[in-house]
Amino acid sequence: MHSTTWYNLCAIGYFAGLFLLIANLAGRKLFWQKLATVTVALSFIAQTVGMVFRWQEAGLVEVAATERATGLTLTGWTYFVVFTQHPPWSNLYEIMVFMSWGVVLVYLVSEVKWKIPAAGIFALLLSLLSLGLASLTTDSDIKPLVPALQSWWIHVHVISASVAYSAGTIGAVTSLLYLVAAKDKLTLRTLGAGTLGVSAFLIFILGRGFELFTTGQYRVKLLREMSGEMVPVGRMVQDKFAAYYLASPYVGPLLIATFVTCVLGGAFLWWRRSESDVPQGRAVLAWAAPFLLLTATVAVMVTNNLTLTNVELPSAIAEQLMPPGPWRFAMQSNQWDLSLFAIVWGAQCFVTLSMLFPNLARRVLPTGEKLDRVSYYTILVAFALVAVVLVTGALWAHYAWGRYWAWDPKETGALVIWITYAIYLHMRMSYGWVGVPSAVIGILGFFIIIAGFLGVNLGWFAGGLHSYGSA
Amino acid sequence: MARGTTSFQSFYDSTWRFFCSLRLTVVTLFVLLAGCLVGMFHDQTWTYEEHRNVWAQAAWKLHVYTFLELNDVFHSWWFGVFVLVLALNLIACSIERLPKIWIDVHNPQLRLPDPRFHAMKHHVHVQLPTREAGLRLLRQYFGHGPLGAPYVPADAPNSYFFRERQRYGRVGVYVIHIALLMIMFGSILTTEFGIDGMMMIPEGGGRNFVQSRGPGGLTASHDLGFQVHCTDFRLKTFTDGAPLDFESDLVVTEFGSQVPVFQKTIEVNDPLEYKGYTFYQASYSPRSGEQLVKLSLGPHGGERLTHTLAVGEAAVMADGTQFTPVEVMENYGGLGPAVRIQKVSPDGSATHFNVFRFYPNFDPQVRRGQYDVLFLGFDRLYATGISVGRVPFLPVVLVGFLIMFIGMYMAFFMNHRRYWGRLKQLENGSWEVALVGTAKRHPYQFEDEFKKYKKTASDFLKRLNDEEPSTTGA
Repeated sequence: MHSTTWYNLCAIGYFAGLFLLIANLAGRKLFWQKLATVTVALSFIAQTVGMVFRWQEAGLVEVAATERATGLTLTGWTYFVVFTQHPPWSNLYEIMVFMSWGVVLVYLVSEVKWKIPAAGIFALLLSLLSLGLASLTTDSDIKPLVPALQSWWIHVHVISASVAYSAGTIGAVTSLLYLVAAKDKLTLRTLGAGTLGVSAFLIFILGRGFELFTTGQYRVKLLREMSGEMVPVGRMVQDKFAAYYLASPYVGPLLIATFVTCVLGGAFLWWRRSESDVPQGRAVLAWAAPFLLLTATVAVMVTNNLTLTNVELPSAIAEQLMPPGPWRFAMQSNQWDLSLFAIVWGAQCFVTLSMLFPNLARRVLPTGEKLDRVSYYTILVAFALVAVVLVTGALWAHYAWGRYWAWDPKETGALVIWITYAIYLHMRMSYGWVGVPSAVIGILGFFIIIAGFLGVNLGWFAGGLHSYGSA
Repeated sequence: MARGTTSFQSFYDSTWRFFCSLRLTVVTLFVLLAGCLVGMFHDQTWTYEEHRNVWAQAAWKLHVYTFLELNDVFHSWWFGVFVLVLALNLIACSIERLPKIWIDVHNPQLRLPDPRFHAMKHHVHVQLPTREAGLRLLRQYFGHGPLGAPYVPADAPNSYFFRERQRYGRVGVYVIHIALLMIMFGSILTTEFGIDGMMMIPEGGGRNFVQSRGPGGLTASHDLGFQVHCTDFRLKTFTDGAPLDFESDLVVTEFGSQVPVFQKTIEVNDPLEYKGYTFYQASYSPRSGEQLVKLSLGPHGGERLTHTLAVGEAAVMADGTQFTPVEVMENYGGLGPAVRIQKVSPDGSATHFNVFRFYPNFDPQVRRGQYDVLFLGFDRLYATGISVGRVPFLPVVLVGFLIMFIGMYMAFFMNHRRYWGRLKQLENGSWEVALVGTAKRHPYQFEDEFKKYKKTASDFLKRLNDEEPSTTGA
């Protein structure tokens, strides 16, 4: 069977597990919970098998390409080396699949150890999001590996990165759950204020900073459908292809409105944070307005991507663009932005549900103490494994490029993640910041992971030696 | 230390406390974090001038920019200062805390004062009928041998027990810190005395200068003191032109001599090392112009000779027919490399045709001319890109890495736990076994551990009742 068949099976299994877990929250029967865990575990095995198949497919491609290039027929050890040199974690598509694998792995381990099914819902959602992003990337074809990646270091380096970042993600999820569960430490109003603050910051970043406010536009990639694939449209600027970005209709003003209501609503909720646990009166509006606006923004964004299949441009611009029209929007126009908006929106949904059903939410969640402990241990694992990532990366860089550390953006990104978790651990010790403050840093760690891990591939930072895969 | 002696003393004390505090660690880490983020967002491969032109037009912006050296954050003065502060902080913390911990680790309190047996969070208290039964239960907790030997003081009728586990877990954090110091100082010294540069060597040429990025993003040259020659560069490509592998034959000669002192074929991930310098295959670039084409020419079906020709250079056959490679195509219509040949017959008429490298039978079987033309390959002259590194203090850094992992194992997986036991006769004649313990980390696991000990005690009691129901029933 082909690897994608297995990945599809596994995605179906994750969906099934997700529904079982959600259904289980209402009934809380041990049988359903166990069934959910078994479903997820089986799907996880399916994904692992899919990755083995992918490895084999890549191996055959590598062998064929090498044999054609050298004119030799490979045998024995050489065959084995070439066959295995292309592991299923060597481009962006494979990395996204691998990340979804890692998140489920860490969730399953934590399920066995601590039993927090609520964390499983988030883990599966993020895992499915990652799989979805993988299916949208254009580089799912197997191409022979570039020489710099042909090394055994890639295995330790990338596996520990995947597990480390997944552990950090689960740590962030349990931190968020903690903030809801810790009733006596903070009110849901405070949590709402914090959520709106983070949302405003992310809108600022994803709206390309001040560009959103000066132009009033939110721009996405223009695409052209060619033999079933979405190809970016662009023009040559100084011998380099530059993708053309076009404003997505109505999204700019909506985003600005969302940003403003996030800031105002967040400030209001923070100001009146200790008035009551659940927002009442005007505070309801302070929370609901930004939430509904963000919902509308994301909905319009998706609708634009799906419906604007024939975009007309003024001829002055159209002449420069290639490939020629018909041009269109699609999910690939802004898949990464969209996924981050989806994560923020998902978090807001969760907070909304907690505000609507505070007693139920706290009843189905484990105690705050337990969630704090789980966050601490998962982040400890993440901290240790990021150290492995840094050290194996340094050693590999030493053998491949002649320097073990060059402040390349991706190297620095991993260091930033490590320092964040070092701060987390030291704050728990020095300030005794157990509970709310450490949960806040744990959640911020997730966004730093995204910036450090994907930022380079998505072109947020200067390109570096790690920019092999790209969106 | 005497209080309020001199102002110098108090200054010294406050400085020391400042450098010992964990808060300084957190603040320093935040500053370094900010520095890293700035360095990620601001392209550090640009020069000062490029940044200035794009970003810092206003005078005040330029002042801030220049003052903070934002074009080279990671080598700026303030980043260096905070790395140094972090190092001092680590050293001061270790000097302040490590000896105390060391003394505590090596001098445990063997006999816990009696009141504390009832004041500790984790405890097991059981009443047993006889002293022997109590000792048996305590053996289960404390083991046999020297560990299980009770301490019986002369002034009390009670027996005391002590045991500890994984005591060196306590120093794990300091092992990590020492490793970090090694890595930091190794790196600082490497940046100071090491070389990280590039050299482009054309095929057949030699170089002795390394170009590296100096202060302010300016290029600096460094003389190796010996010459590195590239005798051949080979690029293997896949049929679609993507590089499969590339390698260079390097030869090292000392000045004033042509005698090779060292030679090696280097490829990506397999460098050459000489005199503390390491030469890595990093990149390549084609030199403009010359391409050499290798053709095999001969009468149809007869014996062929190999000719190596530059593009545009003709091979002349015995009867005056000329074959000239006109153009090399790296990939002709998905059929792989091909060369376009111009044939000039003795009568002066010219024709063109293509021959393919991967289809050697094409020409003799399909074109079937008077002569067979086979395309054996082409070579283009390249300059090989060698990245040159000298990392004199690398062993310090590598040992630092190793020690860091040992430290992490000690700090995260080892948990210093101490257990105290006491066997005491109560007023009613029965014997009380008390077990208490403390753990330095993982309190929840420790709680589970004590649940297990409670179960051990209740199981023991049940067994005892089964054995002698009459004695305990009273």
